[in-house]
Amino acid sequence: MPKLKLETPTKLKSGFFHLDPSFTLEELLLIEEYDRKTTLVGHQDRVWVATAHPTLPLLATCSGDKTVRIYSLASTNFPLITVLNDSHKRSIRSIAWKPTGDLPSIALGSFDSSVSVWGQENSDEPSSEWSFLATIEGHENEVKSVAWSSNGYFLATCSRDKSIWVWEADEMNEEFECLSVLQDHTQDVKHVIWHPIEELFASASYDDTIRLWKEEDDDWACVAVLDGHKSTVWSTDFEKLSSELKQAYQNNENPIHARLVSGSDDLTCRVWKRVNIIGGSASGNIPSTFRSDPVSEEWIEDSVLPAAHTRTIYSVSWSGLSGRIASTGADGKIVIYKEENRPENTSEWVIEKYIERSHGVHEVNCVTWVTKGEEEYVISAGDDSLVNIWRV
Amino acid sequence: MSEPINANPEVMDASALPTRLEKNSKTTSNVLNLLPTSIAPISLFRFGSSIGWDDLNIDKMNISSSPAPSLVYDNADSDMESVNSSSPESEYEPIDSQEIYDLIATISDPEHPLSLGQLSVVNLPHIQVIDSGNPDEMAEVLVEITPTITHCSLATLIGLGLRVRLERCLPSRYRITIKVRAGTHQSEIQVNKQLNDKERVAAACENEQLLGVISNMLATCK
Repeated sequence: MPKLKLETPTKLKSGFFHLDPSFTLEELLLIEEYDRKTTLVGHQDRVWVATAHPTLPLLATCSGDKTVRIYSLASTNFPLITVLNDSHKRSIRSIAWKPTGDLPSIALGSFDSSVSVWGQENSDEPSSEWSFLATIEGHENEVKSVAWSSNGYFLATCSRDKSIWVWEADEMNEEFECLSVLQDHTQDVKHVIWHPIEELFASASYDDTIRLWKEEDDDWACVAVLDGHKSTVWSTDFEKLSSELKQAYQNNENPIHARLVSGSDDLTCRVWKRVNIIGGSASGNIPSTFRSDPVSEEWIEDSVLPAAHTRTIYSVSWSGLSGRIASTGADGKIVIYKEENRPENTSEWVIEKYIERSHGVHEVNCVTWVTKGEEEYVISAGDDSLVNIWRV
Repeated sequence: MSEPINANPEVMDASALPTRLEKNSKTTSNVLNLLPTSIAPISLFRFGSSIGWDDLNIDKMNISSSPAPSLVYDNADSDMESVNSSSPESEYEPIDSQEIYDLIATISDPEHPLSLGQLSVVNLPHIQVIDSGNPDEMAEVLVEITPTITHCSLATLIGLGLRVRLERCLPSRYRITIKVRAGTHQSEIQVNKQLNDKERVAAACENEQLLGVISNMLATCK
């Protein structure tokens, strides 16, 4: 007769990689080379997010163990630079690098309902001296996601309290002024992310929708609602800029083209496309009679990515180098999609490869692309408290 | 509000419930001793409009919460583990629905001194397990609960208790899905969504007050 196997959570958490809490940085770095995978060991609870700095070779990870770990991506053994301890009373759910500033800084969003900002103290490279810069309070309960605008002026934060707050940051990360509290979502807001150059961000929600937001008359307003997912939308990511688009923005044009990928509890990933910008300072071919109208954008569902997941999709990421999309979720799979050109200027997304059980039998909470020269990596964060770096 | 719809839920005799556990244990008789001679009316908050566990005002409820949440695990677990390790003839040992039932049927109702098995909130035929037994593969457990009344505002709390119990006892390869049985709750979709949202569950498990209530619910588990 089959008997139940019981494991205590103590075993699940520490297992074979138990670490002495009185660690030194060197001792904490246990790296396992396995095939094309490198594993970063050190967190003592599920890892929620891994994210690379947009310009510097830095990787940050955050966890249910209430710490953030910062690694160097400059060398192939990914040495640990520092651990941010004692920052929050509950799980750190989300982290975001500020894209600007002389020294790197990072925002942390926690289930304790607050956001904190930390920065490197001096310009030695890499420096293990990081200091606490600010606490940002306002949300009523768990902060689920934080995101900086590409120019570093704005920080968006969202929460189970159904609201999104847009904060204006100063250069020193000391003063954060709340510009707007956005309450259009009818349920928890799971995720926020900014457009790679525009002052435009997307929010994903437990109410099954995605909303897009822009500044208008010193306030922020919803400019589009993307309806289509049949359950919670956990994550979205914008398409990165092609060289043509970069040129257009440099010429002060307002390109219409923009795309967004989303991943949901309904087991689908969808690609959405902006097809029109109406009102505001939009393009000159809009009749002037419409210009006094509030800004709005027209987004359509461009495609549904080929079905690949059998359980909730928690994370999607769009590569800036190859234009590929990666997704992951509760089924532990990492799926990589590429876009193939088809006749008459059309295209089709196909599955390029899978990584099955990328964190063993555990769920995977986050996937993100990292570019190193001409090489691309996918970094994944799992419930097994590990971070895996894959050459793909 | 004035007329409790389900003041007298059908209560099963604990000894009549299906189990693979040894009968006549001390815990069983304790539970039976606690059986009230007449069932107290279900208190009003079961009829509240709140759906999620976050909306519950535990202080005002007729449910007990441990001041300090106990994260101590059942002593019985280690006993079962040792029994298990003494029978190594089979490489793969899948878990079946009876074992899941035995883990959750003895959970106490948040406000009654009755178990979820006795109240038929959990029922053996409403548990599905898909398990190859291979420790390197994921396995699935689906539990459908039947609230005692269709607008039970404690359904999410009961479901959370089940999830915590199963997550503590089962190896991490099990993906657990907990739902209310179709047609048994007026807010079925919302309840199911919350019970299976990993982030909501993770945050709830860091809420000491909720954990205290759940610790009490699990205190009667064998």
